[in-house]
Amino acid sequence: MSILSEIERDALTEIFNVGAGRAAQSLSEIVGDEVRLTVPSVEVLRTDAINEQLLPRIQGRFATVSQNFYGPFDAEAVLLFTEDRALSIVRDMMGSQMSLDQLAEFEREAMCELGNIILNACLSAMADMLEITLNSSLPQYVVSSPEEISSRLSEVQSDERYVLVLHIDLVIEKHQTDGHLIFLLSSTSLHALVEHVQAYLRKIELT
Amino acid sequence: MSSFVAGRFRLEDVYDQLNCGLVMLDRDLNILLWNAWMARHSRVPAGAAINADFAALFAGQVTPALLRALDNTLRYGLPSLLSSALHRSPLPLYPHHPGGQREGVQRMAQSVVLTPIDNPDGQRLCLMQVTDASNSVKREKMLLSHSEVLKRQVGTDGLTGIPNRRYFDENYARALQRVQEEGGMLSLFMIDVDYFKQYNDLYGHGGGDRVLKRVAETLRAHLQRPDDVLARYGGEEFILLVRNLPPLQAAELGEALRQAVYQLAEPHDKSLVERRLTISVGVCTRELQDDTDGRQLLEAADAALYRAKLGGRNKVVSIT
Amino acid sequence: MVNDATGKTLLIVDDSKVSRMVIKAHVLAVHPDWQVVEAASGEEAIRVVQQNVPHYCTMDINMPGMLGTDAAEQILQQQPSVRVAIFSANIQEAAQTRAQQLGAVFVAKPVTEKSIAQALLHFRGPV
Repeated sequence: MSILSEIERDALTEIFNVGAGRAAQSLSEIVGDEVRLTVPSVEVLRTDAINEQLLPRIQGRFATVSQNFYGPFDAEAVLLFTEDRALSIVRDMMGSQMSLDQLAEFEREAMCELGNIILNACLSAMADMLEITLNSSLPQYVVSSPEEISSRLSEVQSDERYVLVLHIDLVIEKHQTDGHLIFLLSSTSLHALVEHVQAYLRKIELT
Repeated sequence: MSSFVAGRFRLEDVYDQLNCGLVMLDRDLNILLWNAWMARHSRVPAGAAINADFAALFAGQVTPALLRALDNTLRYGLPSLLSSALHRSPLPLYPHHPGGQREGVQRMAQSVVLTPIDNPDGQRLCLMQVTDASNSVKREKMLLSHSEVLKRQVGTDGLTGIPNRRYFDENYARALQRVQEEGGMLSLFMIDVDYFKQYNDLYGHGGGDRVLKRVAETLRAHLQRPDDVLARYGGEEFILLVRNLPPLQAAELGEALRQAVYQLAEPHDKSLVERRLTISVGVCTRELQDDTDGRQLLEAADAALYRAKLGGRNKVVSIT
Repeated sequence: MVNDATGKTLLIVDDSKVSRMVIKAHVLAVHPDWQVVEAASGEEAIRVVQQNVPHYCTMDINMPGMLGTDAAEQILQQQPSVRVAIFSANIQEAAQTRAQQLGAVFVAKPVTEKSIAQALLHFRGPV
């Protein structure tokens, strides 16, 4: 059973791409060069489906930045990159002359800000296009193994949990990186989100 | 349940003792709170800051990134942060020397966090927290990284480390102005690596990058005067601007550049000219009294480059 | 100046169906008599233009395959009469400059009544 219809998925992809465009502009001002950030696809999965699809058997850990947000729906938003990709992003943002040790010291700060820029941009695009208000916590940076992430996701509460998964594509200084942005939502929140998307689609047709 | 016992101490005393800056702003950026730390490090006393317009008070002294983040937080109610890693000093804050003698010119390294606060009237405010991010070991490294970031923000090409097109365009305009005011000649060199696409095809983009860096270094080694400008103009194109070089010497410099790259002896099996990497150079030297638009000089240099290519590549064509 | 803005054809190019719907709805609200044709990629847009030249065109930038600005450049080379509005989430200077260099107008997404008005002004002039 598909949780989101084709057109609802398209609408969300479009909303997140508007967010990505804003984030790319902020990042390009920091880096001093053009940045490409796009969201090629969006899908909704049940949390137990995440393990096979999202966390393939990679060696190494994930760099994650998360923010909790509240409003007509609540969710935890998590930006995920593999750890070595995160370091290379930090290097691109800060300057290629630094050694890996030096970069590691700034990794947490720089990734927090990167995550905050991307997450805020997506949230502000949702706010503008779905005409809602969302509040958020400050970003947290955690480096986790795939197992730790898995177990975090399977802390299922009584309400079924879903994950809205965005595949993201980031190009800084001509280095291309894949990452994911996931929103962990309860089924109540997911339904609220879908309702807002449907309202948005109805509004278009009425224009 | 309140988080403090009212009446036992003054809240002002608490936030004035905090070892970090605290500022409250409303939607119009009026300053509603300015703690002692902020007064000390900004050298703006509370009396001058309270109810002042933050943007006006610090016009030109705060970074656009901070203003944008403020706008974002106030407009959408989302918290933002400006890490010291990516922004050295968004605010004009300085280390405080108790003696008052040494006026540190260098701004303090800062970390800024913006959080939205809804006041009891339902208006959205922004709380700005500023912490001192300096730390002797970290600071050296940060200065290193920030000079890199700054270089990039003013226009350095990421691959070769020499200026990029944006930097060149700005400096070109300035050089033209100076020549018009002071008189003199301007020589523009357009330099293009021969058969570069074929080089990439054969040796890969990594090889292409490596060899571009070598060419950039070689060209840079021939800069003689501080106001010579060498920039990476495009993928495999470089541009060089030199003032007050007579046409004959400009032609000689062009030839020296061509020779220098030739002597790198970089193998290039797909070149149709030599079995090594070569460049084509077009130079145009002019006195620019009447030419207010530097575009003509650019076009002329470009035409000279074109003739060098047509004439067989690994060649210099010099015109006036 | 006589501005005949009736019966025009508009080509909307965007890989997002929702985005095409939004633009179409906003345009038809102002010009219900216009004919709207859609394409989901730069390549498709070029093919469509070759068969039937539209008066106006809106173009997204970030699409799979060809970049919208490249497609716009090709279309304008082949059919310089077409007026183009670049509608994009990519709002960096480079994209805006490129749009201007092409002689197109740049409009930032999300699409609103106001931003559509900007595009319409570029297409048919003031009314």
